[in-house]
Amino acid sequence: MSTLDESHEELASLYAFGLLEGQELKQFEVTLASSPELRDLVNELTATSATLAHTAPVAAPLASLKARLLSRIATGPRGKIVPFRLSFWLPLAAAAAFALSTVWLAQLNFITRTENSLLVEQQAIAAATLQSSRNQLEAERLIANQERRGAETRIADLTLHMQEQSDLAQFKIATLASLLDNSPQALAVAIWNPSTQEGVLAVEKLPALAADRDYQLWVIDPQYPIPVDGGVFEVNPATGEARYQFKADRPVKAIAAFAVSLERKGGVPKAEGPMVLISQ
Amino acid sequence: MSTFSLYVPTACLIALGAGRRLVRMSEAEETTDRAAQHTLDARLFQRMADGDRAAFGELYDRFSRPLYATALRILNDAKEAEDIVQDTFIALWEKARDFTVTRGTAFGWAVTLTRNRAIDRVRMRRRRTELLDQAAPEDLGYGGGSGPDSADQASLSEQSTAVRSAVAALPTEQQQALELAFFSGLTQQEIAARLNEPLGTIKARIRRGLLKLRANLSSRP
Repeated sequence: MSTLDESHEELASLYAFGLLEGQELKQFEVTLASSPELRDLVNELTATSATLAHTAPVAAPLASLKARLLSRIATGPRGKIVPFRLSFWLPLAAAAAFALSTVWLAQLNFITRTENSLLVEQQAIAAATLQSSRNQLEAERLIANQERRGAETRIADLTLHMQEQSDLAQFKIATLASLLDNSPQALAVAIWNPSTQEGVLAVEKLPALAADRDYQLWVIDPQYPIPVDGGVFEVNPATGEARYQFKADRPVKAIAAFAVSLERKGGVPKAEGPMVLISQ
Repeated sequence: MSTFSLYVPTACLIALGAGRRLVRMSEAEETTDRAAQHTLDARLFQRMADGDRAAFGELYDRFSRPLYATALRILNDAKEAEDIVQDTFIALWEKARDFTVTRGTAFGWAVTLTRNRAIDRVRMRRRRTELLDQAAPEDLGYGGGSGPDSADQASLSEQSTAVRSAVAALPTEQQQALELAFFSGLTQQEIAARLNEPLGTIKARIRRGLLKLRANLSSRP
């Protein structure tokens, strides 16, 4: 007595047409594997469904297809099965293994050489990079030294400038006023540089002198009992002006005042004539 | 005696001991016994498995027309149908030793290979709907109860005629269900949608139609 019901027949029919899918197909195939009766039914229904091929409109392939197929199977890989002979295949297998090993070793050798070449190249690149870094550091060091020297020069210049400024501060500058009744407008300015022991005297509106007379400059330094001789000078008769660069005939430490006196031609070692200009 | 039913019930074949009775190929043309025809196909597969190319040629003569007609019906393209048939015969040649008579008929196996390939190609082309629209059920020759036209009639083999007659004896709705199930490549749900019927109805029609077709073919001599 058959154990198959309508649901089995339905599933078998759908299976015969390939219409089962997914979980339904899996479950049916599990059942099919354990039921010879169901297997027989499936076989019958599959064969029955195959007969529907005869209901297709009559058609025949080209006559050349058979010739092509016969040619294909004649030259194809499949042929009559021959027994496996170990004695025949063993040497061939050994030769094939040897050839494969050789190829593998050659490939391994090639890969190793390639990797070695790459490492050498990488080492060369690293060395070049290191040298480049060293060159850059050296260049930066040279630039830093140059900048340092420039800075030192500027510092030296600045120091000198400051020194000059300091020296300027030490200059003695004095204005000399007139002591003459006939030339009260006469005026003079004296500048003394103690570091060089030199000075400049500029005068205006001093009266011109007779040929046998000279104006003589005196530097009054408290360390000396008498004024220090600064030399004689002449004025322009037309303008009453003079610019006279002078030196003291003795070392001067401190200047208390400048004075100009009227002396005989060529000057005197000690003031004898009247004072015409004197600083405050 | 009609030979159309040679490819029908494997269970009958097995019951008749077809797997044990081998016949010579030279006797094939004269063989009229259904089981002997199946045995003949099985013997051809055995010879093919041994590399006998002549057996392959004989199998081609027996199967090529229905297989090509099936592929052409599914694909509606002669070139593609020929490609499918060629692939199928190559597969039969290469897998001949895998054929087991207890698991079905040789013809059924060949049809299954052909049909699966054709349907795969149809689905791949995504032209299923177009193909169905181009081919009305009447093209099969049994739609609406009408038989094949006179031109085809002359060239139909006895097998084709017998099968067509067996199909024509089915109710129209079962014919439609079987036709779509076999040739269209549609899923169950798509068949139901195409016929505008519930899925359960379609499943029942396929079951009843296939069982009745089996019975009709078995009842023929």
